[in-house]
This record gives sequence, C-alpha cells and structure tokens, in this order.
Amino acid sequence: MSTVLALDTSTSQSSVALVQDGKVLFTKSHNDSLSHAEVLPKLVSQALALNNKVDLVAVGMGPGPFTGLRVGIAFAQSFALARQINWVGVCSLDVMAAAINQDEFIVSTDAKRKERFWARYKDGVRVTQPAVGKAEELEIFKIPIYKEEDHFPDPVQLAKLALTSTAVTQPIYVRKPDAYPLPAGVKFRPMSSMDLAVAISIEKEVYGQTAWSVDQFKEEFAKSPKSAQYLVAEFEQEVIAYGGIFCVAEVADIHTLTVVANHRRKGVGRELLKRLIDWARVKKAQAVMLEMRLGNDAAQPLYKSFGFTEISKRENYYGPGLTAVVMRKELK
Amino acid sequence: MALVLGIETSCDETAVGIVDGRKLLANVISSSVDQHARFGGVVPEVASRAHLEAMPQVIKQALNDAGVNLKDIDAVAVTAGPGLIGALLIGVSSASALALALDKPLYGVNHLSAHIAVDQLDSDKKSVPTISLLVSGGHSSILKVNNLATDVEVMGSTIDDAAGEAFDKIARVMGLGFPGGPVIDKQAQLGDPNFVEFPRGLTSPADQSIHQYNFSFSGLKTAVARYIAQTPDHKKADVAASFQEAVVDVLLSKSLAACQESGIDNLVIAGGVAANSRLRSLASQRCEKLKINLSIPPGNLCTDNGAMVAALGSMAIAQGIRPSQIGLGADSAASMSRVIW
Ligand SMILES: [Zn+2]
Repeated sequence: MSTVLALDTSTSQSSVALVQDGKVLFTKSHNDSLSHAEVLPKLVSQALALNNKVDLVAVGMGPGPFTGLRVGIAFAQSFALARQINWVGVCSLDVMAAAINQDEFIVSTDAKRKERFWARYKDGVRVTQPAVGKAEELEIFKIPIYKEEDHFPDPVQLAKLALTSTAVTQPIYVRKPDAYPLPAGVKFRPMSSMDLAVAISIEKEVYGQTAWSVDQFKEEFAKSPKSAQYLVAEFEQEVIAYGGIFCVAEVADIHTLTVVANHRRKGVGRELLKRLIDWARVKKAQAVMLEMRLGNDAAQPLYKSFGFTEISKRENYYGPGLTAVVMRKELK
Repeated sequence: MALVLGIETSCDETAVGIVDGRKLLANVISSSVDQHARFGGVVPEVASRAHLEAMPQVIKQALNDAGVNLKDIDAVAVTAGPGLIGALLIGVSSASALALALDKPLYGVNHLSAHIAVDQLDSDKKSVPTISLLVSGGHSSILKVNNLATDVEVMGSTIDDAAGEAFDKIARVMGLGFPGGPVIDKQAQLGDPNFVEFPRGLTSPADQSIHQYNFSFSGLKTAVARYIAQTPDHKKADVAASFQEAVVDVLLSKSLAACQESGIDNLVIAGGVAANSRLRSLASQRCEKLKINLSIPPGNLCTDNGAMVAALGSMAIAQGIRPSQIGLGADSAASMSRVIW
C-alpha cells in the first residue's frame, strides 16, 4: 500500500489530499490568499488523523505568488525530511490542466500586479514553459482560457500526477526578484567625454557597421545635461556598459543601451535601463520610447519585462534590410 | 531534559540550533549575506528564496553536529516574529511540518526574547531580572526582563534606524562595504574616537521626558555624511572611530540608566552589534564602575541563530508553558506582549 500526501499553495487556495492506492482518504481546500501558513498545517493535521502513515509527499511548485507558494514547498520538504520519505514537485498549472478535457487551451492563474501566470496545452500536454504576462497577451491565442476561479489545482490530481510526471525540483518563480542581484563590484556613474573612446570601440564591437560614429556621440553629448542622461557601468575600472536617454517634452527617448558581450545576462543592462527610466520619471516624462533592431532577441525580453510594447516597425532604419522595432512604455 | 530543535528565519540567516535543556548541542547558520552585499541591505525576496533552498541542509547539518536523530527531538521551536514576513513563513512552515510529522509539540517564540535567552545556555546563572540592550541590524531596544518566557517589557527602542543599520549606512557613505559593523569596527581601531564630537541622539534634557530610553541615529548619520563631504582630507579611521564612539556611548548610557532606575544590577547585551569590540570594552569598564553584572553571549550566538530559539523553547518547556497551536502563522510586527505564541 502506498499513501500520497498532496499539497498545493500556488493560488489563493490551500489544498490538501491524502490518496491511498488511488483511493481518496481525505481532500479539503480553503480559499484565503493571506493564510496559507495557518491553514495548511491544520488541513494536514486533519488528514493525518485519518491515516498517519504517508509514503510520499507531492507538492505544487507553482508558478504562484511567491510567499504562499513557498509555504507549501517548505512544508513538503521538511515533512518528508522528518518522515524520511521522498517528496515530488509538480507544476501547479499541470495539475489544473489535468482536470480539463479539451484539445487546446491555456491555464492561467493570478500573478498579482495585474499579470497572469500561464501555460498552453495541446492534446493533454503542456507545449510552453510557464510564463508571466498581461492578461491581454493571452487573448491573442484565441483558445479557451481556464482560470483558477473555475479550476483550482485539485490535490487529488496532484497526488496522481506525482506518480507519473517528471519531478520539478525548483520552485517555478518565472519572475526575478524585484531587486535583481548585480554582479559584485559593478558601479554606475555619469558618462563623461573621457569615456568616448572606449564607448566607440564597444560600439564597433557590438554593432559593427551600424555603430555610432565619434561625431554622433559628440552630438549627443553636446545636448544639455538637463535634457539628456548618459551613464556607464564599470567593473574593475573598465567600462562594461553604457546607456543614454533624452527627454525634451513628455516623451523620453532611449538613444542607446549597450552591454559588452561577456557581461551580458548578469543584470547590468537591467539596472542601467532602470536608472534611465527613473531619470525619465524625475523629468516628468509621460512615456519612454526606444528603437531596437529587429531580431535583437537578447534585448527584447528585457524591454518587455519593463513593460515596453511594440508600437511600430521602421523599415531600413539601420541600413538596407535592417528594420527597427519601436517600443514604448507608459509612465504613470 | 528536553531536546529542542529551534529554527530561525526572520531575516537573512537560515539557522537551526539544537539544545538539551540548557546545553548547546548544535548551532548551524547559513547566511545569504553575500547575495545582499550587492545592494547594501537585505532584499526580502532574495532572503526568502535562500531560506527555502538552505533549510533541509541546515536541519540535517544541525542534527549531525548534535549527534541526534529527528526522532529523538522532544519539541520544535521557531521564530514566529517579528521579522520579514516572507522569511518568517519559511521557518514557521518548516517547523510546523516537523512537529506534525514527528507528532511533537511546537513553540512559536518571539525573536527578541530569544536573543536574550541564548545567554542562559551552558551556564547556571540566574540572570533575571535583567535589563537587556538588544542591538542589531534590525533592532535597537532596551528591554526589562522579569521572566524570559512570560514577562518582557520594552523600555525603549529606536525611533528611526536600528544601530546596525546606522553602521551599514555610514559604511556605505565611507565606501567601506557591507555589512557595516565589522568594517567600521576594524577601521575604528586605527582611529581617534574623540577626533570629532558627533551628536548623541535623544540625550538632551528636553528629550529625557518622553525619549529617555529611546534611540535615534538619523541625526548622527546626517552629521557624519556632512562631515565627510565638507572635509575632503578626512582620515577614514578617525571618522569611523568617532562615529562608533557616538553610537556606543549613547547605547550604554541609556542602558545603564535603565539598570539604575529600575534597581536591576544585571545587563545582557545581545544582537549582532554586541560583537562590536568598542561596545564590549566600554560596557565592561562602565559596568565594573557601577557594580552591574555584565553578560554578553559569544559572538556566534549574538547574531541571529537557531540556538537562541531552541533555548527559549526549552525554557518555555521547563516552565510548563503550553505549546503553540498548529497553524500559528507568523507575525512580522509582533510586540513583546507575545513571547510564546
Ligand atoms: Zn535578531
């Protein structure tokens, strides 16, 4: 005989089930987004009162609002440790999907901050990684969207999936922490004319033919410091990134944001972009715009994560056949 | 004697301690401080992620160090507040799971009282009633302790920054790094503590009526920052020593006044800032003069740790206090009226 204790706290609901060889001994849920830590142990204690022997713990790994999500995972790993049994993590969206009988659909849960966690399913299989985005973005697919209000993750399904699906070992956070850790030792300071030579050599390295010329840089620099802000990031006394923004009326324009190749994906560009946007806010700009070369896949997720959306394309902007994507973010 | 496992996750330390009655068996701490050094402060979401990751390993290591099995544990204790809510919940949830899985009582305890309780480990001293100065990155309080598990009273606390926070902020202004306590302590040893007379917050006669035992460090911070800006050729060591002297002086003056006013001749200094060498030496000088028994736990028990939580849990058991209920939750702003949940 094998008994699975299943728990999920990835939505506003805390759910617990105890399933023995397919037979449901206990299942109960409580909906309160602020009390997972209070509710979960009480439900587990009720379940254990019916059957104290547990052979496996199954837990929903999210995605879900972080604080509640971690209550369930912390509980599962410590319970398993104390009982010297295994615990298995399952994607919580998969648990919801398991209860839906449709060819193609999206499962989506509240991610707070007016966003949704979601994943897409086809013929019973998840075909995308769990992601986070605006609700409108999901409408584009024109397939049914199931939300937690109708299909809270069912702990009985979770117990079943834990025996068959591949285990998820890390919490599915999807989002990065707000303050993204910077590599130690990176410093930011205003760009000066002393940095021009370095900036130009980085430009050539990164953009090749479409790099800004010395004159273009000088022209940007000639603009009043009141209407433009240029910053560099330094690591061990070496410039590793630079960015500039310009603002005259209500709309600020990011002119450049460049990180040298071996310092990318470390949060430097993110921090630089954040600082430029903060400056635009101080200047009381209503929106920030930027142009990005089409196909610049590395930068696109960064801009999107800051709330930039594509508003138009400019053909041949960077030269023959090189299209610019114009993106805009509203500041409120 | 009760074998108690204590879990602490109120800030950036994932810590588990094991005590047998008053005997310390294990004290394991995993800190995410390196991840926070980049920001010069603790980032709650970073701390919570690190707690969840570290917890099973820290529990295993503590059991291993103590040479006991989870089955042998008589009770589980956990910090239920005050602290960062997301961080506290990792500890409370883990502790609840252990208690349920092992069918053992659970004690949710107050973090501040636990800081003082740790002083009772490995000793048979009867240090209550006592005045306690609790100083760290998160707290700066003067407490009157009649009974560690039931009766702790706040006489005063900071009205702005905690003492440890003031150290962090000044270290940042001086470009010395994070955490600020150890780096300033080190610099100060080469400097003159009387080089600059920095202000002692809330010590004027006018402040004595309502803020007799309260602290304020924001004025001091501003004064140091202004001094640095106006004195380009300042010596870092002198500024560090003078700043540290201002903090330490005001902490001790107020604590000792609390001892004298309440007629209590015991003083326990706890919390991370208790590791400061100048605070230690000045405290022992002044206490000796006033014939006050001074006690400062060893450094690794002064900063946040699990042993202090286990120690307080163990005291609650010794006094026959009933365990907390399953589903106790956490209270990020818990007051001293709640010592055991
Ligand atoms: Zn503390």
